[in-house]
Order: sequence, then structure tokens, then C-alpha cells
Amino acid sequence: MPEHGIEGLAAARLWAATKFPYLATGVFGAQVIADPGSGTLSVDESWRMHADPEVTADWTPAQLGSVLIHHVCHLLRIHGERAQDTGVRPDEAADWIRAADAEINDDLVPAGLELPGRPVLPRDLRAEDGLLAEQYFAGIRRQAARAAESQARSGPWLDWLDCGSGADGIPRPGQGQGSEGGLPPWQADLLRRQVAQDVIAHGKQPGTVPAGLLRWAEEVLTPKVNWRAVLAAELRRAVAEVSGAVDYSYRRPSRRSAVAGPVVLPALRRPVPEVAVVCDTSGSMTEDLLAMVLAEVEGLLRALGLARQVRVLACDTAVAPAQRVSSARQVELIGGGGTDMGAGIGAAAALRPRPAVTVVLTDGYTPWPAAAPKGMRVVVGLLGEGAPDAPPWTRSVRVEP
Amino acid sequence: MSAQNPAVEALGVAVAARVPVLLWGAPGTGKTSAIRAMAGAMDLPCETVIASIREPSDFAGLPIVVGGEVRFAPPAWARRLAEAGRGLLFLDELSTAPPAVQAALLRVVLERAVGDLTLPDEVAVVAAANPPEQAADGWDLSAPLANRLCHLAWQTEPRAVADGLAGGWSAPVVPVLPDGWHAEEILSRGLVAAFLHVRPGLACAPPSNAAAAGRGWPSPRTWEMAARLMAAAGIGDEARSALIRGAIGDGAGVEFLAWLVEMDLPDPERVLADPASFRLPERGDRAYAALAAIAAAVAADPTPARWTAGWQVLGLAADTAPDVAAVAARVLARCRPGDADPPAEIRLFAPVLRDAGLL
Repeated sequence: MPEHGIEGLAAARLWAATKFPYLATGVFGAQVIADPGSGTLSVDESWRMHADPEVTADWTPAQLGSVLIHHVCHLLRIHGERAQDTGVRPDEAADWIRAADAEINDDLVPAGLELPGRPVLPRDLRAEDGLLAEQYFAGIRRQAARAAESQARSGPWLDWLDCGSGADGIPRPGQGQGSEGGLPPWQADLLRRQVAQDVIAHGKQPGTVPAGLLRWAEEVLTPKVNWRAVLAAELRRAVAEVSGAVDYSYRRPSRRSAVAGPVVLPALRRPVPEVAVVCDTSGSMTEDLLAMVLAEVEGLLRALGLARQVRVLACDTAVAPAQRVSSARQVELIGGGGTDMGAGIGAAAALRPRPAVTVVLTDGYTPWPAAAPKGMRVVVGLLGEGAPDAPPWTRSVRVEP
Repeated sequence: MSAQNPAVEALGVAVAARVPVLLWGAPGTGKTSAIRAMAGAMDLPCETVIASIREPSDFAGLPIVVGGEVRFAPPAWARRLAEAGRGLLFLDELSTAPPAVQAALLRVVLERAVGDLTLPDEVAVVAAANPPEQAADGWDLSAPLANRLCHLAWQTEPRAVADGLAGGWSAPVVPVLPDGWHAEEILSRGLVAAFLHVRPGLACAPPSNAAAAGRGWPSPRTWEMAARLMAAAGIGDEARSALIRGAIGDGAGVEFLAWLVEMDLPDPERVLADPASFRLPERGDRAYAALAAIAAAVAADPTPARWTAGWQVLGLAADTAPDVAAVAARVLARCRPGDADPPAEIRLFAPVLRDAGLL
């Protein structure tokens, strides 16, 4: 390996890999380069660490190893990219780094990280443990705004290291992505997944891996899907399959018949489907979540040009009469008690004109009909965590806030 | 600007390998101009067809009666491509094409058949689309059409836009496919086949939700495409990763790429049989993976001969990567067979272990 000139690096990495075996792949995957005069040990987004030998000379191997672990965590949690997504301005970079540090340190300092100096912990930001950097950062922004109003900032912040572009996403001179060495994004991605697999493997013995890190690894390996995107796609698909059952009809001749001579060409006709929304109003539903999903469904249907065709049914064991609504706020949740979505779907099928697409919003604790109603597509939104599955003849989307 | 957009390079490789490719990106980000520029740079006649304003009969052929039988006449753009014998068919606004038009496009994209006319093999098919949530009236791509294309994400870099506005847009660099890549294709097919033996579930995994169905997903057809693109893209760069993930989807793509990396590691049993042959991988994390695998292999079956061979390997690695080797040395030290003598190599690790406070 090409890195040299940093004393105690091998011992520091060995300490880190022994103390935190689940992060060893990450520690060895990062390249350490001597960068005299930089006054810090920083990390860039290509998994390169730039160390000032004079700074690191004062540290014990355990301290240097801890900083390496800390920086690897910046990379694993892609703080650079997240800073750009959050819209961190260059003058706020120091605040963001403190927020990112707090996200890392709340877990790892109790697990035995021996950072030099006084590392930032959530309580320094007057926040509780276990939050995300974005949440800590929002807190800092609020505090800064308040401090600016009262013309007095709450004292100087503790000086810790400048963690570098790997932590705040703002390129440093001479450390650009293009310069040689370092990992290209796709390899960094693979390395991150490898570490996540190591973390999960070690996490099988309880008490060895901090819970925050385990949560991170699970999220990397099975990313949460945005329910809005899935719901939108399912709705579009259901509507497309009905309205897009664009049928060839000879009732109206094609506009192109003129060039076809004696052949009669069919024209395309596009039926506009009716849509019904069945809302579970039993006591187990939360009103906020239902209102949110209903608003989303409505927005989607409006985008498809179907807003006028929507009818909303409220349903527990009995079905309230169909309401024609123009906004989600007009829906009254009148029910309570037990639930039977079969009754709701049946009522939707009995509407005239008959809906071609029915959207069911429920918490899943309900009996279902054994088979799909004829000639109707059913999209189910399962609201809340741990909702039971919907039957296979529906297209279901899990909505978890 | 140091390098061109990796998506442009991936696009170039796919066009040169004649694999149908689809660029996904926000409106106004230069997909269309990049594709036209690529056709120009490759000296291919380019025919642009906006899919969203066409009817199914424009792709399936317009029926005409000739001497008592109905023929399906191809439109002029198809004739021009057929006469040129080569070229680039550019299908713009694919995601706003209604489902019936998408159905008509199925044969055009993969088999290059337009009505009764079949376009020559030398015609490349390229498409562009806006993600459904950004298009004016977007449909998700139907799963069969999505499965015929390699999906590339089009991203714009602010720096490249600034440079382009100030100094003019640079012409895309046409990637040169490696010599004899057709022969390489046999090798990459072998790799895909070996991977599918290990993970048979990924041979064909249609996506479960509608949003994922509109992107790449693993099927025998896309695996074949992936093998072809892998051979054409050469070794280990950004474009190859984008093309493989684009053909078979992100999930399967990442697993396949990770498996390829693992394939590069030395086989522990072979190393233990002949320790002198061991070459330490250059990257730290791979060196760690290789040595950890060897130490684990010894720990699983600690005979004195294997134990000694393990120490010999670590001795070779101790010089370049003392820390990596020391981690493996701790594993070996713990599984010492009762009748084995302490090896000479153990002394190599004493200093670094002492520095780290582990002795």
C-alpha cells in the first residue's frame, strides 16, 4: 500500500480492526495519505484520508484508530451527499459537521471510541441520542436563529477536527474526485454494502454491535421504499390498464382511413374510468395518516385527469353512503368498532356508474372477499406499521410514515 | 473538465455494442442533444421518432391493400434506416407513449422489426424518457418493454453545465471497444452463468411492484444483455457498473458486482497448498478479505501443516500490510493445534501488536 509517513498508522488500524471488527473492512478500505501542513485529519468522498503527520504524532494509536473509525462512519453514512441534499451552505458546514459527528458519536463513544479532544455529543447540541444528522442540524439552525435575535450566541463551540468533504460534501482544494487514487462512487457503494453485511453478521451475537449501526446496516441492505412513489405507480398502472385498455373500435373510423384505400381502419378510443375510494373508519385507524394518504391519492388522480370521477366511501362493518368530495378534508370518519372491507368493496361495486378502479385505505385488520370483484381493479393502501398482508388479488402498497 | 459524464460513456458503449438503451432523466438536461451528438461522433445517420405522438400503426406498419392482400407498410424513417444499412433509431419521450404504443414498440426495440420491414443489425436503438413523476402525462413503462432495454440514469453535474455554457459543449468521446470483445463475451457469459448457479433465484425475478417494473429487472434476456455489455465495456470502470446495473436492475446488479469482486480474491485452499504463490491484493479491504478468508479456512480445520502454511502466508504479507496481517495473526494464534511449534513469523507481529496495546 502506498501510504507512508504517518507514524503509528499500522498500530492504529490494528487497534480499530480489533476493537470494532465489524468495521474492519471499512478501516482497511480507506486509504491514508500524508498531507503535511493541513492541520487536521480529514476525509474525502473517495475514501481517502488526508492526515497531517504533526497532528497525528501527538495521538496514541487508540486515538488515531478512533478517528479512523469516526471518519469511516462519515463515509458509511454518506454525510457528504446528505449535506448537499439538505442544502448546507459553505458557511454552515461547521454546523453540519457537528450534527454529523453527533450522529456517529452517540453510538460509538459508549462502545469504546477514544477520540482525542472533546468529541461532539448530542447533549452538546441540546438534543437527545439516536437522531439523524439532519435532525441535529435543524436544531442547530433553530438555535442559531434564536441566538441571532437575542444578539448573543451561546458561547464558542468546541473546536474539533475539520472532518473534510467526506463529512460536509464541500470540495476541498486538491482533493477533487478526479485526482488519482481513491474509490469511484460505484466501488464506494460496494464497499459500504460489504461493511453493512459485516455489521449484520456480527450483530447476530447480541450486545456486540451498537443498535444505531445495526439500524444503519439494515437500511443499507434493505432500503425503505418511498410509499408515495409505489402508490403513484400502482394507481397509474391500475388506471392505465383500464383506460389504457385502449380498444380498437369501428364505431368511429380512423383519421388515417384516407390513405388506406378500401381498408377500414379502427380508431382508438380511451374510456375514462370511474374511481372509488373506500376508507376504513374503524377505531384502529389514525386520522392523520388517513388524511395524508387520502390527500395523496386525490392529488395523483387529479394529475391523471380523473378528479371528477372520484367517490369516497367510509366503511367499518356497515357502509356509509358514498360521498362525492372535492377535497380530503371533507371526508368524515363516522365509523368505529369492527371492520369489514368486503362490505366496502361490495358497496363500491354496486355504485353506478360502476368504478373500474377501487382504492382501499385500511389498517389491514379486516376480512377480505375470497376473490376479486369482476371487472374491477383493487389497489390497497395498508396504513401503519405491521399491517397484515392484503390478499394476492389486490395490488397492495405499504404506507409507513 | 477531467472526464466526461459516465452516463455518456455508458451510452457510447451500449450503442457500439448495439444493445437497446434507455436514458432516464429530468426534462431539459440534454439527453436528446447527447444522443444526437453521439450519433454524429460515430458517423451514424440518426432518425428521431417521438413515441408519444405516434400511433401503434406507425410502429406496427400501416396496412395497405396491394393486389388483394394487406401489407404493413413501414414509415419513411424506417425505410431510410434500412437503405443506409446502419444508423441510430432514437425514440424520444418513451415514457409518455400510451400503453398501446408501448405494446407496438416491443418488436421494434428488440428485433428491429417495423411492419413488414426488418431494420439491419447495424441499427442501434436508443430511447430517452422522463421519470413518470416528472413527465407531463407519464405512464410507467410496461414490464416487457422495460425488460428489453438497458436503463441508464442521466445525471447532470453542475460543474459540467457551467463549463459547457461558458466554453461550448464538448463533443462526446466515442468509446473504443476492446479488441476481440466478441470473444470476451463468451467469458462474461461464463461468469454470469457461474453467478446464476450460486444465486438461481436471480435468474428471473420479475419485480413485485409497478414502480420497479418500469426499470431494469433480471430475466434471461437481460442477463444476456448484461454479459454482452460487460464484455464490451472492458474491465472495472464506472461505465461497466452502470451498464450492468442498468440491464438487470440495481438489486441484482449490485449483488453480481460484489460477487465479481469476490471472485478476484485468491482461493484460500489453493493458497494454503502453496503459500509461496500468494500475492497480496493491493487494496486494503481486499487484502483484509483475502487474509481473513485464509485464517478462517485454517481455523475451520487446524492441522499443523495448514497452520504453518497460514503463518507463511502472513509472513509474506507482514511487510506491506502489517496491520491487516496482524488481524489474521490473532485468529491463527487462537487456533494453534496442540503439537505445533510456534512459527518464526509470530515475531514479525510483536511490535505492531505492542503499539496497539494488544499484547
